[in-house]
Amino acid sequence: MTHETPRSNAKGRLTVSALVIALGMIWAAPSPAMATEDPIVAPSFDLTDPERIALGKKRFNKTCAGYCHGSDGVGGRAPDFKGRTDLADEEAFRTIFHGRRTSDIMPPWGAAFSTDQIWELVAYIKFLGTQ
Amino acid sequence: MTASRNMFRLSAALLAGSALSFMTAVPAMAQGKAGFEDPNNWPEYHRTSNAWRFSPLNQITRENVKKLKVAWVHQPGNITHGLQATPIVIDGVMYSISANNNVWAIDAATGKTLWNYAPKLDKIVDQVFYGAASRGVTVGRGKVFLGTLDGRFIALDQKTGKELWSTQLTNPKTQYGALFSAPPQLAGNVLFGGTTGGDQPISGKIYAVNADTGKPAWTFDVIKNDPKSWPGDSGKVGGGSAWMPGTYDAKTDTIYIGTSNAAPDYYNYDRKGDNLYTASLLAIEGKTGKLKWHRQEVPNDSWDYDSAYEALVVQKDGKDVIVHLNKGGFVFVMDKKDGALENVWQFSENVNWVKGIDPKTGALIDPVYPEIDKTKTFCPNLLGARSWNHGAYNPGTGLWYSHAMEVCNEVVAGKDDPDNLKAVSALSLGIESIKLVAPPNSKPHGRLDARDPLTGKVKWSIKYDMPPLSSVLTTAGGLVFTGDLEGKIFGYDADTGKELWSFNSGSGLRGGPVSYSVKGKQYIVFPTGLGSHAPGFLAGAFPQIKDLPGGAALIAFTLE
Repeated sequence: MTHETPRSNAKGRLTVSALVIALGMIWAAPSPAMATEDPIVAPSFDLTDPERIALGKKRFNKTCAGYCHGSDGVGGRAPDFKGRTDLADEEAFRTIFHGRRTSDIMPPWGAAFSTDQIWELVAYIKFLGTQ
Repeated sequence: MTASRNMFRLSAALLAGSALSFMTAVPAMAQGKAGFEDPNNWPEYHRTSNAWRFSPLNQITRENVKKLKVAWVHQPGNITHGLQATPIVIDGVMYSISANNNVWAIDAATGKTLWNYAPKLDKIVDQVFYGAASRGVTVGRGKVFLGTLDGRFIALDQKTGKELWSTQLTNPKTQYGALFSAPPQLAGNVLFGGTTGGDQPISGKIYAVNADTGKPAWTFDVIKNDPKSWPGDSGKVGGGSAWMPGTYDAKTDTIYIGTSNAAPDYYNYDRKGDNLYTASLLAIEGKTGKLKWHRQEVPNDSWDYDSAYEALVVQKDGKDVIVHLNKGGFVFVMDKKDGALENVWQFSENVNWVKGIDPKTGALIDPVYPEIDKTKTFCPNLLGARSWNHGAYNPGTGLWYSHAMEVCNEVVAGKDDPDNLKAVSALSLGIESIKLVAPPNSKPHGRLDARDPLTGKVKWSIKYDMPPLSSVLTTAGGLVFTGDLEGKIFGYDADTGKELWSFNSGSGLRGGPVSYSVKGKQYIVFPTGLGSHAPGFLAGAFPQIKDLPGGAALIAFTLE
């Protein structure tokens, strides 16, 4: 994935929502077969919502951090999330949804988590970027 | 017969004798003894059934090891999770496997590919946690056997690589992608092996088929059907896989195979019992799959302390004993015949989950369990006192050479959220959080220890900034070979640990180095390429791992 549409506020979210609606591509439930270029459903909440960030943190610590990304997003073979500012929301969403294979493997989580659960993880990762 | 003809015969005999000794490069006295069989080959995973990883070849010595040169390099093309296999070598042909179950037959003298087989894998393998993991093949009965990422055993024709049979054994969709990362092993005409899944909500099994037909022979349930051991339905999600290769004693028709931790890893509230047969060494009859004996090393395991590693066989007071390291940082020494305990010794410097283990009974002394809502530090960490990279035993020195790691983790136990267990790749860790941390009063580090396998007495030890994940090879040339996470390969003096030779391969080692001889030349081959999830896990304690490159190459060395 090379395209980036960085946004971290409600305005950016609105833009993506409008795009999705305009394309008539609202996904009731994402499927693992979703192509990497397909539009994604915008979050139903503000990514800076502290409650959602807390939910994302809880899930992150119980799953992602346990083996792969490290506590507070520091560790693992991926770049640290803490202090990272170059990660676009959609890129983070798609990576969680589809996983990634390079010299390392991140399994896909699209079949496990709901759209909002993935967005909560994104919200937490974005929050770590501000730390 | 004339004198000259006699002379000729004598010369020919001498020539033949010296050529023979050159070809085999094995002390004549030693041939035929356990561990010295079939000296020119590396015919099975640990070379011999005693799991020594010892080559009787001695052409490469302490004196000339500095003259090792690259003979060839074989690159499989896909570097995902590196090379994790221990190659097999029989009569000049190497059989190995790379990412995604890609099997290779290679000319062991030149590195030329003789044939290549890539199975058509079910798409579900894109979702499994242990993706790409391919840790070896087994060769025998004219066949090359592999276990697959989609839960099958497959047999190939040894000469052509053509598929002979394929048997589906697990259901990856319902068993969280239970797959065969390790090569299934032969027990006579039975081919057996266990799956991944110790950290997943499954009920682990060991599968066996007829090696010639692929027809299922028996299944062994690692989760014992016993409500005292597994209250309620806890056994259904109790983990208990046997994910490493077992070994086989043909004389007694006995399979020795270790088993994983119990699941959920750190949350034991629903499985208050000993959780048999997790964290155990099993002795199983090869023909029938019946349990002969078992020794559980970590009852009610609540720390992810698998006991799945190799069953090293050495002699003690004239009898065979098994030396068995577990992830909890202890080595169990037991009678090979019945598992009776001979000794337990502490392998890790940092152990705090128990005060000790009674060397006479094996009982855990004052274990400290994880709890909900409490942060507790446990040493060793979830990767163990050592990862699955195997040690090696040299009968010449009487020493066991094994890597070690000193890293701890802070854990808050927690019930798994069912939402988190929907993915095929989901892990049942039973945590709220986990964090790798340094041991109390020291930096996290790795080691190579040379020890008396029966007592643990250290002869020499080498410290590394990052824990090596390569298996170890030792040879009759008085050498020990291994490699580190940065890709540096080392040859050490087996007596002293002195570094005699090194080579920078460019990417870390995760597989098993082997040695063999073709046409009178001894070779040593190192699988290179940083592999498996382990380096990523360890990056929490060793940030420098983050920047290490991946890779995948078999690199062969020989003397000029």
